[in-house]
Amino acid sequence: MKLRRPPRSPHSETIITLIDVVFFLLVFFMLIGRMDATAPFDVTPPVAVSGQDMPTGGLTVSVSQTGDLAFAGVTYNLADLATVLKPDSDSQRLRINAHSQTPTRHVLPLMTLGEDLGFAEVVLVVTPEAQP
Amino acid sequence: MQLKRRHRPQALISLVPMIDVMMILLVFFMVTSTYLNLDMIPVVQPAGPASTTASTERAALMIRIAADGSVTARGQPLTSQDLRALLTQTAKAAPETRLFLLPSGAAPLQSMVAIMDLAAQSGLSDLRVLRLEGRP
Repeated sequence: MKLRRPPRSPHSETIITLIDVVFFLLVFFMLIGRMDATAPFDVTPPVAVSGQDMPTGGLTVSVSQTGDLAFAGVTYNLADLATVLKPDSDSQRLRINAHSQTPTRHVLPLMTLGEDLGFAEVVLVVTPEAQP
Repeated sequence: MQLKRRHRPQALISLVPMIDVMMILLVFFMVTSTYLNLDMIPVVQPAGPASTTASTERAALMIRIAADGSVTARGQPLTSQDLRALLTQTAKAAPETRLFLLPSGAAPLQSMVAIMDLAAQSGLSDLRVLRLEGRP
């Protein structure tokens, strides 16, 4: 006697749900993740309670604990940085992302440079809570 | 005569590779994304309209930050509590007081930001960071 094979139930519904969930997650991570060139060194910004929300736009210069400067993932000295940084209509703000323990002698010239280059605003990046 | 139904051709495009690619992208974004809660403190403000009050009439308070982060104002070394009290008192007496910060070049940035923080919490908004530059 020949037994009939039970008909296989189609799995398409389950797969479609999975694809939906994965798509949502993918779009979520793509939207909220800000792709930015990271500095070639670790930067822990100073802690400040009264910091303002960071608007988008602007150029970010990172300063390491030892005073190294980096812009768009590349290390520069202050003179070379002056040739690379240029404020335009989209980037009138210079963000200084300096390590909390950086001596101010490495940060203050950067503020002066920002002013001299014509940036409308120079801001210090801070964090409201201590990073682990 | 009975006609046989034609077999529908099966879909040739499989969804499995697409799911694989999406999974890989998803894992990539989940692993590489770092979420930092970042704020900002303006240190050089955009130039506003000229103030009507003469700047010479405004009171000023200079705060020096030593290399070890200790603070001196009006010739007196101050603790964090003393400085908070001084700034609060100053803000109450003359809210338009201009605050000058003179940090030592060796002072850590955190000490400067902490004072800017205290000033903002006290209600003093006009703060300038003095930058001493060597002569060429």
